[in-house]
Amino acid sequence: MARSQDKDFQEVSAMIENGFNRRNFLKVLGWGGATVALSGCGNTSVEDGREFVTSYAETADYIIPSIGTYFNSTCAQCDAGCGIMGRVREGRVLKLEGNPESPINNGKMCGLGQAGVQAHYNPDRIREPLLRNGDRGEAITWEKALELINEKVGSVNPENVAFLTGVVSGHVKALLNNYLDALGSGHHYVYEAVAPSVVRASNKKAYGVEMPRLSLDKAKVIVSFGADFLGAWVSPVHFSQQYARFRKPDNGERGVLVQVESKMTLTGANADRWLAIRPGTEGILALGLINSLAAAGLPVSEDVAAAVGEYTSDRVSKDTGVSAEHIGKLAALLKERSPSLVIAGSAAEGYAHGSQNAAAIALLNQVLGNVGQTVEAPSSVPFPQMAPSTGNSFALQSLSDDMAQDKVKVLFSYGANPVFTAPAFFKLKENLKKVPFKVVFAHYMDETAVEADLVLPLNSALEDWATLMPEYIAEGAQLNIRQPLMEKMYPGTLGVGDILLAMLKQRRPDEYNDYEDFYSYLRSAMVSNKDALGGADEDDDTFWETALSHGVVKLVGEPVDMTGSMSAAALVVPAPFAEDATYPLHLIPAVSASMRDGRNANEPWLQESPDPLTTIVWDSWVEMHPKTAAKLGIVEGDIVEVASKSGAIKAQAYLFPGIHPDVVSVPLGYGHEAMGRYAKGVGANAFSILDPVFDNETGELAMHETRVKVTKAGQRVIIVKDEGPAGGSQMGRRIALRIPSNKVNLSEEV
Amino acid sequence: MYSFLRLSVLLVGLVVSAGSYAVKAAQPLTTADDLGPNVEQPFEFPHDRHAGDAADGGMEINCMYCHTYARRSIVAGIPPVQKCIGCHQNIESVREAPRIKKLFEYWDAKKAIPWKKVHDLPDFVRFNHERHIQRFVFAQGKPVQEACGYCHGDVKKMTVARRQKPLSMGWCRSCHMKDHRIDATSTKTSQGPNDCWQCHK
Repeated sequence: MARSQDKDFQEVSAMIENGFNRRNFLKVLGWGGATVALSGCGNTSVEDGREFVTSYAETADYIIPSIGTYFNSTCAQCDAGCGIMGRVREGRVLKLEGNPESPINNGKMCGLGQAGVQAHYNPDRIREPLLRNGDRGEAITWEKALELINEKVGSVNPENVAFLTGVVSGHVKALLNNYLDALGSGHHYVYEAVAPSVVRASNKKAYGVEMPRLSLDKAKVIVSFGADFLGAWVSPVHFSQQYARFRKPDNGERGVLVQVESKMTLTGANADRWLAIRPGTEGILALGLINSLAAAGLPVSEDVAAAVGEYTSDRVSKDTGVSAEHIGKLAALLKERSPSLVIAGSAAEGYAHGSQNAAAIALLNQVLGNVGQTVEAPSSVPFPQMAPSTGNSFALQSLSDDMAQDKVKVLFSYGANPVFTAPAFFKLKENLKKVPFKVVFAHYMDETAVEADLVLPLNSALEDWATLMPEYIAEGAQLNIRQPLMEKMYPGTLGVGDILLAMLKQRRPDEYNDYEDFYSYLRSAMVSNKDALGGADEDDDTFWETALSHGVVKLVGEPVDMTGSMSAAALVVPAPFAEDATYPLHLIPAVSASMRDGRNANEPWLQESPDPLTTIVWDSWVEMHPKTAAKLGIVEGDIVEVASKSGAIKAQAYLFPGIHPDVVSVPLGYGHEAMGRYAKGVGANAFSILDPVFDNETGELAMHETRVKVTKAGQRVIIVKDEGPAGGSQMGRRIALRIPSNKVNLSEEV
Repeated sequence: MYSFLRLSVLLVGLVVSAGSYAVKAAQPLTTADDLGPNVEQPFEFPHDRHAGDAADGGMEINCMYCHTYARRSIVAGIPPVQKCIGCHQNIESVREAPRIKKLFEYWDAKKAIPWKKVHDLPDFVRFNHERHIQRFVFAQGKPVQEACGYCHGDVKKMTVARRQKPLSMGWCRSCHMKDHRIDATSTKTSQGPNDCWQCHK
C-alpha cells in the first residue's frame, strides 16, 4: 500500500516537472484514490491477535490506563522559563499545559510552548554520539566519546578550552562552572542571537538592574518603543496576562497602549495607536516627548530641561516622521494619566546608537516618575551561582576572534547554533575550521553540529533533569524544576547535566564519583540545601517529592536596590540616518513569536502556524509597504532579492501597510541549511546578510542597522497564507468590514 | 507520453492492491458463527478456572477483580503480573504447574507478560467500558459476568479468551436500539446513544 502511494507520488512529481497539466494530474490522483480504496481496510476487528495489550509487571496506584496523569516541569522552547504540566498516558507524554503554580505563566501557555512535544518526538533527533570520519559521522559509544573528550582536553593548555552556550542557569550552570574551574579556564562565552542585551546594559545604568520588573497592570498608559511583549519579548506569556489586566482592570479605566516602531509587531497590532517611526529615531522621539511634557508643565530637573531643549515638536516631527499632532497627543496622554510605563524594545536598541536610544527612553520613564511605580525592583537571588548567565552577540564576536587567532583548541558548544545565527561577515564557519576539536551538544544535526568533530546527542527537555532560574521572574525568586515526563525515546541520548557530571568525574573524581548520575547529584544538592529552599521543616523525601510535584521551588529574596544614575547631560542622540543611494532601505530582521532565532524551526507545528500579521506559512517573506513596492514595481508574490553590503537573500514579497515605507522586514529563523526535514531549505536566512555595525557602548551587533536594496528576481509565486476573504472577495457577504486606513482616526479613541 | 504514464500508474496500483487484498484474505477475521480467530498467547490463561462456576470447579472470581479498570476507564485493563502473584504466592498446590512456573519466570524478571489483543476496535471507534459497566452493573444491578458477557461472550467457560461477537457497528446498534431500564428499580427505560460522535470522535 505504502509502496503504491510512493510510486504514485514519484510519477506524479515526475509529471509535474515535465509540465503536467491540471486535468491529467487529477486523473492520476483519481486512479491513485481508487487503488487505495481497493486495498483498504474493511473489517471492524482489524487487528485481532496482531497487537499487544498494554500490560505491566507492577503498576503505581495512580496509573489507570487511558486516563492521563499530569507531571510538572519547565518549558524549554524559549528562555522565559514558564512552568508546564505534561499529560502522560500509558507512559507517553501527549500534551503540555501551563503549570498554574508558576507565577511566570500562571497555568497559561503559548503556541511555541505547545510545540514542545514535537521537539521530543522529532524524527530528526540524533540518537547516538557521532564522531567525524571525513564527511561522515560515525556512531560511537558514550564511553569512547567521553574518553576522547578527556584525552583532547588533557592534551591542550586549559587556556585553549572554550565553552560556548546559550543561557544557562541552575545546577547545570553550577556544574559547568565547576568544570571550567577544574580546568583552570574561564572561557565561557554565553551567546544569545536575539536578546535585549543593549537594553539590559542601559537598564543597569539607569536603574541599577539589568531587568527590572515591569508592572504593565499598574500602568494607565504604556508606550512601547518596539518591544513586542505580547509576541516574542522576554516573557510574553507573563506580559500577556498583565496586559489583560491593564486592558480590563478590576477598577479604574482601560489602559491605553501606544506602540512606536517601524515594523508592526503583534503588540503593535494590539495597540490603540501604532506610530510608524523612521528607523533609529526612537531616542529623538523620547527626548521630544520629555520636551513637550516639560512645556506642558511636568516638573523636570534643569539638566534634563537643558538636554531636551532643542527637541521641539517640529524638529522631532521632522526627524521621526511622527506628526506633531500625535506627539502632542501622546505627551498630553502621558501627563494626564499616571503612572505610565515606557518600554525600550528590540526596535529601539538595534542601532549603533542603541544604547543612547535606550537611555533616552529610560530618562522618559524617570521624568514621568515611573521608576518605583511601574518599573520595580526585582528580587535578589539567594543562590547567585545558579542565577542565569544571559548572553549577547558580543560574546560570539569574542569567541570568533579568539578562534581566528588560534586561541581555541577544544570548543564545546551547547544550546546555541552560531553557524546559523551568526551573520556571514563573522566568517564563523571558517574560524571554526581552525579549532582542532569541536564538541557540539545537540538535539539535531543543525548547522553547527554538522561542523563538529564530536556530536553528543542530548535528551529532549521532556526526558531530562534540570533546575532553571529564569531571567525575568514575576514575583519573588524561584527555581524551576525540569523533570522527565516519560522514559527516554532513545537509549543513546544523555542529558547535558549527565555529560557535564561525567566530564567532572574525569577532573575531580573525589568530589563527584559518589554521584551515580545527574539525578542523584541534583537531588542531593537540592536536599542538602533544603533549609534555604523552603523545606526546613520537612524530611528529605517530603521536600524532594513536594518540589517535584509542584515543579517550582519558590525562594525568598529581598528586592534589590534600584540605584541607577542617569545623566541627561551625557545623553547624545544622533541625528537621523543620512540617505544611502545604493542601499536605500532599512532591513528589520523580525523576531516572530513562533520562529524566534530559528532554534525550533524543525517543529512542523511552528512552520504550519500562520504568522499572526501576514498569515504566511512554511516560508520567509519580504514585508514592504505598498507604496515602496509600487515604486519598485513589485506586487505580492514577486521573488525579490534583498541585498546588503554583506550578502543577499531571495524571498517572496508581501505587501503590508503596517511598516514604514523606508523599511523592509524579513523574519528570522528560516533558511536552515541543515537541522532536519521540516527546517532545511524552508525560506531564507536573514541573519546572514546583516552588516557589521555595532552598538557604540556595548559592542552588541546592531541588528537593525543593515541597509539594503530590493530588486525583482524575475519569478512570481502564489504566497501560501491563511489570509481569507477579509482582504479580498467576500462574495457580497459583509463578513469583515473594511474602511481605508486614511479614513480611520485612531487618535479619537486615544 | 501521458497516457503511458497513466496506464502504468493504474497497473501498479491494481497489482499492489490485489496483492494486499490477497494477504488480508488469507485469514478470515469473522466467521459465520461470529467467532474471532484463535489468538495465541504467551501461555494459556484459564478463565474457566478463575471465573467459572463453583459447580464446574471454578473460583467465581469477579471479572473486575483482575480487569479492575473497567469501571473507571475507557479500557478494562489487563492485570499487572503483581496481581497474579498476589494470590499465587500463597497457592502452593499449583506452584509447580507449567503455566504457573512461566508466570513466576516473568515475575522474577520483572517483565510484563506480552498478552495479545483478543478484542480490538478500529482506531476511529471509541468504546467506553466505564459507561457500560456503570450502567449495567452499578445502576441496573446486573450480575457482572452477564454484563461483560454481552460483548465478550461466556468467558467463564473459556480458557484463553476468544472473540464471540462480531463487534461491528450494526451489532452495537442492535443493542443501542433496545429499551434498557435506567436503574434497578425504575420502570423507565432509555436507549443507548444514537449520535455518530458518541463513538466516532
